[in-house]
Amino acid sequence: MIHLENISVEYRLKSERVQALRNLNLHVREGSFEAIMGPSGSGKTTLIQLIAGLLTPTAGEVIVSGENLSRLGDEKISSFRNRTIGFVFQFFNLPNYYTAVDNAALPLVFAGVDERTRRLRARTLLAEFGLQDRLDHKPDQLSGGEAQRVAIARALINNPKIILADEPTGNLDRDTGGHVMELLQKINRERGVTVLMVTHDEKAAGFAQRIIRIEKGELV
Amino acid sequence: MIRRRDYLLLTTQKLALRKKRAVFAIISVALGVIVVVTANSLLEGVRDVAVKTIWTEEIDPDLIRVYAGENPYELLPPEEGPKQKAKKRIEYLSEAVFDEIRGWPGVEAADRPVVVQPVSVNGFDKRPRGVSEFQGVPEPMLLRYIADRALVTANSNAIPLVVGERNVRLRFDEERGKLESDPGGEKAWLGREVMILLGDNYARITRFQYDYNKREFKPLSEDEVVSQHDTMERNFRVQYDTVVFNTTLTLKGRIVGFCPGNKVLIPLETAELCEKWINQRNRLASRNPARETSEVIYGERGRRTPKTGEYTEGAVLVKKGANIEAIAKRIEEMGFSVVTRARMFEDQARAFDSSMRIVKKVAFAFGGLILGLACGLVWSTTSKTVSDSRTDIGLFRALGATKREIRRLFLGEAMLQGVLGTVVGMVLGWGLALAISHWVIGFARRSIYEPEEALLIPNSIFSMNLRFCLLLIGGAALVSLLAGLLPANRAANVDPVKALKRE
Repeated sequence: MIHLENISVEYRLKSERVQALRNLNLHVREGSFEAIMGPSGSGKTTLIQLIAGLLTPTAGEVIVSGENLSRLGDEKISSFRNRTIGFVFQFFNLPNYYTAVDNAALPLVFAGVDERTRRLRARTLLAEFGLQDRLDHKPDQLSGGEAQRVAIARALINNPKIILADEPTGNLDRDTGGHVMELLQKINRERGVTVLMVTHDEKAAGFAQRIIRIEKGELV
Repeated sequence: MIRRRDYLLLTTQKLALRKKRAVFAIISVALGVIVVVTANSLLEGVRDVAVKTIWTEEIDPDLIRVYAGENPYELLPPEEGPKQKAKKRIEYLSEAVFDEIRGWPGVEAADRPVVVQPVSVNGFDKRPRGVSEFQGVPEPMLLRYIADRALVTANSNAIPLVVGERNVRLRFDEERGKLESDPGGEKAWLGREVMILLGDNYARITRFQYDYNKREFKPLSEDEVVSQHDTMERNFRVQYDTVVFNTTLTLKGRIVGFCPGNKVLIPLETAELCEKWINQRNRLASRNPARETSEVIYGERGRRTPKTGEYTEGAVLVKKGANIEAIAKRIEEMGFSVVTRARMFEDQARAFDSSMRIVKKVAFAFGGLILGLACGLVWSTTSKTVSDSRTDIGLFRALGATKREIRRLFLGEAMLQGVLGTVVGMVLGWGLALAISHWVIGFARRSIYEPEEALLIPNSIFSMNLRFCLLLIGGAALVSLLAGLLPANRAANVDPVKALKRE
């Protein structure tokens, strides 16, 4: 599903050269649930951004769902991201001027789906996640757990093959975090969606089938 | 791919987040547009009115006005020939010239214009009265220009023009130096006297009053008419011979033409008699006959004082269906200046257009300046939106928006401000122009002295040029697009990784 071959990512920080990833090889199976763990600055988020096509490697190839991302232009890579990848962020990233339904339906706007279908799909999905009473609420009217569930609904709305979650429980209390992890696990099991999650939390990592440890840009 | 409707939705949502700034930018665009639209609507309207009503009555379509020729050397600036003698001398119009023109095909009459003064028999010993007290336009001429026939008919009693002849027996009292009416006498002065009156005196009685608010004439009561009749008769008895005053004239004279400025063009024979009559009157009045000059002295620029029998201007009446411009050109070739309705119209329209262009340029430059500032505001608003929306842009990119879509989103925002401002400005500009037009027309109606002048004042000077409006909207969209180009490009190039990063 995901193949990273001899990946190196380098960037400049002021005048200093920083090597975020060094000669990294990684293979992730379709339908698996994997956690990436490592200390801060080890390159976890960079890895996820590479897989999402938001970042281009300095060397090596990123092949996701059969597509060599290095060879895709902006139009194709955006379309690929829209169709194949679902994002879950630590800070939810739900624009406050949209309701829960509008937020969940946002990826469908970029897919060119009409409004009626968008709203219908978003409502169904949110109801499935127990948010049927929160459909028209703005993000600041939702609890952390509810907001993250809206974010997960947004990640799933386009039926992606992969969900990339960057510290999904990082901004939640222990119990709520647990519920969110259960939801991700359920999605992975019932829908067969590959989940790749960056986390510091050992408990959250416990939900994954495999833990990938990374340190100083290299797999450990 | 984002649907068009969603572009609009996302754009308006973004704009709504910065309401104050957006409203300010839209108002600024609107202000510029108001200036431009108001100027355009009124100036076009003024031009339309001027072209349709004012100039067309200056000269008849079948009349050529002829003036003594201009020496081209007269027009040379001094540095090009300060002491240069004129090569061509200015010649005046004369009977010989008129005779030649009369012989051309298509020419019905060629005469000099005669200024006709209304006088009474008893008034021979006085200076001629000015005709300014008679200001009227003959009904057929008025009908030619005014479509509202009913209104003209209602008011026509106030504006007849009568040119007539009658036989009057007069006796010149040598002792008293005065001409007197002598109906039973045997000696008739000049054998026949030409009597020309402008208007039936009683016809000047106002029978209708113009209601400026309702824009219609209302008949006066019988008592008011009788009162006017009595006052008029009383006043006229002091100034005019009652025989003339109370006589209904038989119309015999044919009106060749009518010009504003109290000039009536009449046939030559009548004109000659009339002139003789007026000369006689003037001579009697002043007891100081005009000096005759036999000297012919040309000035440096080729001009000389006209001799007796020479005229500075004349008029040529063209037959129906004849080519007036060809005749005018022929007269020009004789060395005289000519004016026809078409030429006068063209000249005046050109002069008016030129003034309009200047006014328009000033208004447009002013409007353009405001629009330029407004574009700066559009740019600033869009830039601010981009700066404030970095996280959203990053999110949109992560969720599948392409760079092009992000660019279009912000270009749309800039364009929306421009187009909204233009539409608002256009509507307000039209409103303002309508209000000004209403005020100007009202003022003009209140300022007129003669009721028939009201007929020449249109209901509005407002005009709407659809092509100009579409161009304006298109232009505003283009300019605001340009204003939004830089911020939109910046938005498209926002790095989603950096934008989504939270420290």
